[in-house]
Amino acid sequence: MEHMGIDSGRLQFSWVSSAESTKFVDVVKEVTEAIKALGPNNTFVKSETKVA
Amino acid sequence: MKIFTIDKQNWAPGLEKLADSYSLTGPVKQGQFHQFKQLARGELPDFNFLNTRLSAKRLVHPQTEAMFEYSLDETRDDHHIMKEVNKDHPPRAVIGIRPCDATAFLLVRRNFDTPLYKDPYWIKAYESLVLVGLACHNPCSACFCTSAGCGPFHEEGLDILLVDAGDNYLAKALTKKGEKLLNAAEWDKDAQKDAARQEIETMKKAAEDKLTAFKNTDKLKNKETTELYNAPFWEEVAFSCINCGTCTYVCPTCWCFDIQDENRGKSGIRMRNWDSCMFPLFTLHGSGHNPRSNKVQRVRQRFMHKLKYYVDKYDNGIQCVGCGRCVNLCPVNIDIRRVCELMNEYDPELECPV
Amino acid sequence: MIEYLEKIKQISKRLLEDGRVDMVIGFKKGTVPMMNEPCFAKSSGEVEKFVWDSNCGINLANYLTGRNEKIGIVAKGCDSRNIVTHIIENKIKREQLYIIGIPCQGMIDKRRIAAMFEREIQSVTEKEAKITVQGEDFEKTLDKESVLQSNCSICIHRNPVISDELVADPVEEQKDVDRYLDVRKIEAMTTGEKWQYFEDMLAPCIRCYACRNACPLCYCPTCFVDEHRPQWVGKSQDPTDTRTFHFLRAYHCAGRCTDCGACERACPVDIPVRQFTKKLEKDCLELFEWEAGMSLDIRPPLDTYRPDDPDDFIK
Repeated sequence: MEHMGIDSGRLQFSWVSSAESTKFVDVVKEVTEAIKALGPNNTFVKSETKVA
Repeated sequence: MKIFTIDKQNWAPGLEKLADSYSLTGPVKQGQFHQFKQLARGELPDFNFLNTRLSAKRLVHPQTEAMFEYSLDETRDDHHIMKEVNKDHPPRAVIGIRPCDATAFLLVRRNFDTPLYKDPYWIKAYESLVLVGLACHNPCSACFCTSAGCGPFHEEGLDILLVDAGDNYLAKALTKKGEKLLNAAEWDKDAQKDAARQEIETMKKAAEDKLTAFKNTDKLKNKETTELYNAPFWEEVAFSCINCGTCTYVCPTCWCFDIQDENRGKSGIRMRNWDSCMFPLFTLHGSGHNPRSNKVQRVRQRFMHKLKYYVDKYDNGIQCVGCGRCVNLCPVNIDIRRVCELMNEYDPELECPV
Repeated sequence: MIEYLEKIKQISKRLLEDGRVDMVIGFKKGTVPMMNEPCFAKSSGEVEKFVWDSNCGINLANYLTGRNEKIGIVAKGCDSRNIVTHIIENKIKREQLYIIGIPCQGMIDKRRIAAMFEREIQSVTEKEAKITVQGEDFEKTLDKESVLQSNCSICIHRNPVISDELVADPVEEQKDVDRYLDVRKIEAMTTGEKWQYFEDMLAPCIRCYACRNACPLCYCPTCFVDEHRPQWVGKSQDPTDTRTFHFLRAYHCAGRCTDCGACERACPVDIPVRQFTKKLEKDCLELFEWEAGMSLDIRPPLDTYRPDDPDDFIK
């Protein structure tokens, strides 16, 4: 994804088991803050079909 | 019919004048090949080409075209109403279209403009065009326009035929639209009529003589459709085909499309996209049945459609203008000229039953 | 390479006459310069039409998917690796095939050659390692090495990895080849530059799917772009949809692509399609020490789990 020009901060992999609820909350909080800090994404997003 | 002479020094100034009342489109080199592009003010069309990679059909029939739009946003007056997308079609001059591509529009028109059904998008776009054709002095080796009912200097479908005569262009005004354009560009110097006519004839003959790949299409009409359909050569013809859409997409006379909606949140469009009979899903029915689920059926369908069904339906030649694009661009070199010969010469009596 | 042709014909005739195979898949002469057309022969008489030269870049493994006959197939190094992948993925059985292996010396790039000449090329002939290009009023002889397809110039597996019979002695493999110079160039760009690089590359795409259909790996009964209930990817010219198609297809080829170049050859608008798969090929090599199609016995990395698989990207 990075290779095609997507900011590496926008894609994250985490392994969370359904028994690790605290970890889940932490990951969600962290990623949400990180994304908000990066600002709105305007590449690789289709808000409306761009056509003739 | 008037013939004018345009001194090449007046070419650019003439285009500049045209830009006041027409939007100009012409062939421009992008990367390794030429494409039709809207010309910026002062930009000249590049005539140093055999033909554009993709055909001119996209000027009238864009690959993706929004037809209707709607919004569910209740703050708008027109919410929940699906309405036609507003399209302007200011007069557009296409400078440097080859005669084959212009004739192709006429062949496609017989589908889009009939007494019963008219495609308003296609017709409006087509009628806004003024086609300034550029005669071919050096047809490419894959071209076979003279076998397909047109030719390198063919005039049908054009408003003006431009012939490069060295220091000048000879411009044959073929329609009122053409005359109007020539006036607007102030390209109004009359050529010496008889001499010009002779000059054009000579160059036309020279160009036509260069087309060596002549293929007969005279016997297609009288062939029995079912016999051609069941001919044994289809398996061999279709073997290498990879069922991509290259031939149909580059062809100026192919016009199939698929309509679908795309929406996002509170708004959406209904659009049409080019479709190809080569794609496996082309004939997929809502029930799940697909009458052309295998490759041989699809390949056979394409050639029968272009070289037989159209011949039967319109009695006006094949649905092909011999531009040669499919021949040059097919990834596996399936050659319509060869298939045409196979079909034209096919005689079930001569086939060995084994 | 032309000497190979006699051997190909000899072997094919024998296979058909002995009933060892029902058909042999090879090439016949094309009708335009620098092209040959894939074809089949079902009897030894039909073998006469076969050709072999430096215009045989199409990957014939593409024609094997789902066939039930016994098939003789002419396979270069890259093609043979695709045949291995086909067998591993159960698209054809080893017993069905008689692989006529070609120790390949590279295929020429018709686009590169066409770009060298202003006027139309009327014929291209080759003799030993020289290519002669002729037009209406010009003729030029080039070194074959200088006009190879880009994937051929960096190829390190020219000899078939699997075959029933080779048509000639194996050729020397190229050494010290930098296979990923172009990938590293992109890796060195900023995020914005990378984005724009691929936007520009994808702009001419007309979604004809020639690349997908020429690829032997793309054999899904319904490709993800054709899924329509519900629709997964749009079919329009929208740039996001087009980018999705190319990159997602590249992902599907990860660890399977042999860099045969069939996709790039097929593209009617000259998009360097290999640029999408090269990065994934490099990653598979670096992360899993994996090269596609080299052995019938090892499962591909995306098929297997090993405890020491790299996982430092998981937070």
